[in-house]
Amino acid sequence: MSSKFQYDLVALVIFALVVAFGVPAVMNYDGFELNTFARYLALAIVSMALSLSWGTAGLLNLGQAATFGMGSYAMAMHLKLRASDGLPDFMAWNNVETLPWVWVPFESLTFTLLAGLLVPAFIGGLIAIFMFRARIAGVFVAIITLAFLVAFQLLFINQQGHTGGQNGLTGLAQMSLFGWIVDPYSMGFYNLVAGCLVVALAFGVYLTHSKFGLILRAIREDADRARFFGYNVANYQTLVFCISAALAGWAGMLYTLVLEFASPTYMSVSFSLAIVIWCAVGGRESVIAAAFGAIVVNMLEGRLSDVFVEGWHLILGVIFVLVVMFMPRGIYGLLSESLQKLRGIGRPRDHRDAETFPNT
Amino acid sequence: MEQLQVTDLQVEFGGLRAVDGLSFSVQEGEILCLLGPNGAGKSTTLDLICGKTQPTAGSIQLNGVEISQMLEFRRARLGIGRKFQVPSVYKNLTVDENLSVARSRRPGMWSALTRLSLTDARESAAILDRVHLGAKRAELAGNLSHGETQWLEIAMLIAQDSKLILMDEPTAGMTIQETERTAKIFRSLSDSHTLIVVEHDMSFVRTVADRIIVMNRGAMLAEGSIEEIEANEDVKTAYLGH
Amino acid sequence: MDVIANQLFAGLSMASILLMIALGLAIIYGAMGVINLAHGEFVMLGAYATWALQTYAGIGILPALPFVFISVAAVGWIVEKVVVQNLYHRPLDTILATWGIGIILQQAVRLGVGAESRFVKGPDLLSGNTEIGPLIMSNYRLFVIVFSMAVLAATWMLMTRTEFGMKLRAVIQNRAISECYGIEAKRIYSVTFAYGAGLAGLAGALITPLFSTIPTMGTGLVVDAFLVVIVGGLGSLIGSAAASVLIGEATAIFSIVINDTLGRIAVLAGIILLIRFRPRGLFPTETRR
Repeated sequence: MSSKFQYDLVALVIFALVVAFGVPAVMNYDGFELNTFARYLALAIVSMALSLSWGTAGLLNLGQAATFGMGSYAMAMHLKLRASDGLPDFMAWNNVETLPWVWVPFESLTFTLLAGLLVPAFIGGLIAIFMFRARIAGVFVAIITLAFLVAFQLLFINQQGHTGGQNGLTGLAQMSLFGWIVDPYSMGFYNLVAGCLVVALAFGVYLTHSKFGLILRAIREDADRARFFGYNVANYQTLVFCISAALAGWAGMLYTLVLEFASPTYMSVSFSLAIVIWCAVGGRESVIAAAFGAIVVNMLEGRLSDVFVEGWHLILGVIFVLVVMFMPRGIYGLLSESLQKLRGIGRPRDHRDAETFPNT
Repeated sequence: MEQLQVTDLQVEFGGLRAVDGLSFSVQEGEILCLLGPNGAGKSTTLDLICGKTQPTAGSIQLNGVEISQMLEFRRARLGIGRKFQVPSVYKNLTVDENLSVARSRRPGMWSALTRLSLTDARESAAILDRVHLGAKRAELAGNLSHGETQWLEIAMLIAQDSKLILMDEPTAGMTIQETERTAKIFRSLSDSHTLIVVEHDMSFVRTVADRIIVMNRGAMLAEGSIEEIEANEDVKTAYLGH
Repeated sequence: MDVIANQLFAGLSMASILLMIALGLAIIYGAMGVINLAHGEFVMLGAYATWALQTYAGIGILPALPFVFISVAAVGWIVEKVVVQNLYHRPLDTILATWGIGIILQQAVRLGVGAESRFVKGPDLLSGNTEIGPLIMSNYRLFVIVFSMAVLAATWMLMTRTEFGMKLRAVIQNRAISECYGIEAKRIYSVTFAYGAGLAGLAGALITPLFSTIPTMGTGLVVDAFLVVIVGGLGSLIGSAAASVLIGEATAIFSIVINDTLGRIAVLAGIILLIRFRPRGLFPTETRR
């Protein structure tokens, strides 16, 4: 086991303890506060999902919001059906008379939970195969995923009778999980979201430290070289895209449960950008840092947007540009670099040696 | 038996024939050196064999299997390894991690998902001692000196354990002592591997080569042992230019 | 028949605007490999500058053009100096940084001027229509088409017939060697970026009578302009011109054959396919790399 892996495991345990016990205590177990924080935790999942494809594999997916939206709508469709007798209200307003066939299986919770993971994974996988078989890389991945996101959101809003269009899906029922009615303002619900995040992070930490993660980092640095070692680069890239999309879908499902509605703004370009910002601020190389970034930025937004209602996005933009310019590795990079410096002080001889015999 | 059989190989870049009607074969366990002036098509020949470049005509057979149209990673899985002229190691990965990437006996995703990143490096730790990098395992490859980088790439190729290894100027930038050590490693490799080496350093070629092919303008000019090549009039003309 | 002819004209009018936006993008990408996601906001700044000049100084669109060009170019110059210049070796990060700058500019305008739509009056000189049979063409739109072609010609001259253009092409070919010959690549980049931004500003000024001037107006336009740059072959001027006609007309025709939204989706899908199968565009520049 490498020392980095040990650090990550320690960080994960501390993170889990703080989220599970520290935060609720600080919040005084207040239902409203817990719900707000659960929202941050759900967003942390989509941020860590992006760090897998962007930070580890170097594939900047600007369409992450699309897969998040798919998960969010899958859950909303189920809850909408539970809330209505037969036909959902907005369909009647749009002259849709029978329940569209895509909606029918969402009566089942099991199907919904599976669809919320697998549909994003499938669609993400299709786009990935399409791009990576042709060896599309770098900025072109960003542009294609962005174009896909814009087209997907337009299409979604356009199909008003099936999707609720611009209004999204509102008036949802509460989810019933094995007879437990999920109240988004309860401690139990908070624990559910926190548990999901910790499981997702544990999975992410394992993935980045597995040989799979190592090969992805190798591909990020030099894809051709990896091919000459016998790795099917397109397959690796496709799988990480699928995993990232599935996690984003998972986050989307939780997000619908938190807010009790689904909106097409979850699939907007600006939401996708927000995900990129969280991930960049925290540090894209580490899943824990990316999750942390999402929580910090959203907490800041929660505090500052009350004070500067209009100016918050301006501040966010400035923070983002500064991070990209001066902290490209995010908070994580800052921490790991200062840790290295501290170690250098601990071993002054090495430090001097390095100065006397610089590597050429 | 012939491990590699190249027949009438040809490649064109915008009207320029970099390799033009080249045919040769390599025996198992042999060290073949490719010589020739700059632009003779040596590196391009290696590119064509490993799949970096697609030929416009001709055939390449590895153990009787036609590979000239295969994707690079499939050729690598059939047992072709490549060392590049500019040392290509992963500078942002540690020496150990580089080795682990190179150790690609199970290149599939599912096995990669069930193994930790350094498991494979542990298996091939002895290789690092062989190239004197044992003490630098946790170092980032980007912090190595030029000679050490060359060796790391050689170590990676040994870890990859390809049957046929293509080496493009493996001793460039090495000191005389380092070159000698490389020659020794190459000789010991030929027990179980076949090597095709592009090299300019004639003393190195003398030590390692079983057979030499001299190329000029994309075609074969001469073929034979080192003595035969040194006596060949055509070769002298090509090198001296009259 | 009438509908189609008029729609074709509308497509051409759209194409002329796209061309001016795309030219700036194409130059910036071609010269320094920077995908400038703040370009739409440069267009928006141009529109607001025009609105401000008309509202507060009583200057009409046409006399305002030089001022707008210079002021937006100045903003571009500052952005290049302060941010982009530090990121040339990190192409993915330039996308992110310019995206961030776009947000900053958009929010700054929203805070400073307000989110409501602003109105700019077209020039009286160009009011009215020219009619050829059933085809009704607004004089102002005709002017924009001619003007954009003039800008294309001027840019082409700048790139091929001036010392600046020669230096720029040298830097594009090989920055390190050009610097050895005493060309200041940094300055060339700054000027190029400023020029590209200035062109976006001009486009913004010219569209004020045709579009509503709001802080988010650039976002939609820049997507289309990107498509133009990518279809045209990154960095190719003539390619950009051909591609803007193609995309302008395609959008116009799609929007009568199907509806507007589906038309846009079809164009986006077309672009995705194009990048996939012709990553260097339909009209790639001939280079050996």
